[in-house]
Amino acid sequence: MTMTDYKVLFTGSVCSGKTTAIRSLSDIETVDTDARVSDSAIRRKKKTTIAMDYGVLDLSETARLHLYGTPGQERFKFMWELMMSDLVHDAEGLVLLVDNTRNDPFKDIRFYVEEFRDFIVRRRLIIAVTHSDEQADPDHEYYMGELKAMGLFTTVIFIDARDPSSVLKIVKELVGHREKNIDWKGLGQRLEVNSTMPRIEVEGDQEKEPLAVSEDEPVSLLDAALNTRGITGAIHLGSDRKVLSSNVSNKQNKDLLRSMVNLVSALETKASFMGSIEDLVLCGPQQETLSVFVEEEQALGLCSEKDLSINVVKQQAVDLLQWSQR
Amino acid sequence: MKELLGKVDEPGIIDCSCLLKGKDVIVSSFSKSKRNHETIAKQTFSYLFLNVAKQKTKHDEAHLEIGEQRLSGFLLKPGLVLVCLSDKNLNITKVRSHIQHIKHLILQSEVDKMLA
Ligand SMILES: Nc1nc2c(ncn2[C@@H]2O[C@H](COP(=O)(O)OP(=O)(O)O)[C@@H](O)[C@H]2O)c(=O)[nH]1
Repeated sequence: MTMTDYKVLFTGSVCSGKTTAIRSLSDIETVDTDARVSDSAIRRKKKTTIAMDYGVLDLSETARLHLYGTPGQERFKFMWELMMSDLVHDAEGLVLLVDNTRNDPFKDIRFYVEEFRDFIVRRRLIIAVTHSDEQADPDHEYYMGELKAMGLFTTVIFIDARDPSSVLKIVKELVGHREKNIDWKGLGQRLEVNSTMPRIEVEGDQEKEPLAVSEDEPVSLLDAALNTRGITGAIHLGSDRKVLSSNVSNKQNKDLLRSMVNLVSALETKASFMGSIEDLVLCGPQQETLSVFVEEEQALGLCSEKDLSINVVKQQAVDLLQWSQR
Repeated sequence: MKELLGKVDEPGIIDCSCLLKGKDVIVSSFSKSKRNHETIAKQTFSYLFLNVAKQKTKHDEAHLEIGEQRLSGFLLKPGLVLVCLSDKNLNITKVRSHIQHIKHLILQSEVDKMLA
């Protein structure tokens, strides 16, 4: 009997559930080398060598699914190219996990679809929306409408990455038509041990888990920024656009960033009727890229290496801003 | 000059454009309905590149994303900025490579004018 091996690649923003989804599905102990921005590993990032998830699921006697997860953080983005051209060049499809609690999930979708455009031309793309138990909107219908408007005709599945039977829906969508003799129900039962769904409290159950208390001091936005690949300096501003903290060492960059912040705040009052300002970017040859990202409650100025693409800087800024809110 | 902007504007990439000399718009393809964008671009890029000159750095490209639009300013030479308006969702690299392509045409026409 020959064994058919399928591969699938999971991607998505930090915390979208890549690691969890792969863990939910894998028959083996998953390889997890993800260095999370929100934990103290950020200060010890030198330890991190590679950063991807891997797992395997036996679908039947004759079929096996290999699960790969892209490193979440942009600073590991060089891995994406590597994975696409090597490990997963023969993958069935790409699963884009979208965290429904993000400020603008469609911005994430646009970013990842653009980044993986060449990869998905010849493969299935499945959009799997996670965290919808925490935030129900946008709903399935809304996704379908927006994606259609974007010219993306793809499958959208709502899942809870912590629940194996829920994540199995993706697998069924991917290989179900090719592999007819999979016992989906049995598979779901077998994987139940992988579930990380919170246990439903039985009434009268006295055993309460102690609240998790982090022993590490919270990492400031600036620390996080400086530990992000390609970022060399940052300024964090409050809702009044006053500097909360800053660690840009180069005097010229500091002065330029400050003038950019002043400009943005002036424009915010003057040109508000034209829509909100999202960012202002300044770049040039042999120059660090300077950028300012604006939200209502806070703003972030970044210095980044010139070779880091503006798209990546933007995504990093979104991640950093979102993260600092948590 | 106006013909040049015709080369800059490209359906699906650049909606309209203008050329800034110092703080003045010397030629423009911005329509009436986009006048506000032109004004904002003028103020933004003249201010920004003035600061760049002050700091003596080599920054020569800036982008402002406002509403659904993106205003991009390309410093062609000291005091001369090409501004273009594009959709925010269009990849910046497309705007950039399009401008790189025609940058020399604009500079050439500037030189021609000076020699004439
Ligand atoms: N409530 C809820 N939590 C989820 C869901 N999916 C993932 N999580 C949790 O979100 C956190 C981040 O997930 P993780 O897999 O580490 O994200 P990654 O950064 O994409 O690998 C974990 O604590 C998961 O348990 C979901 O659909 N609902």
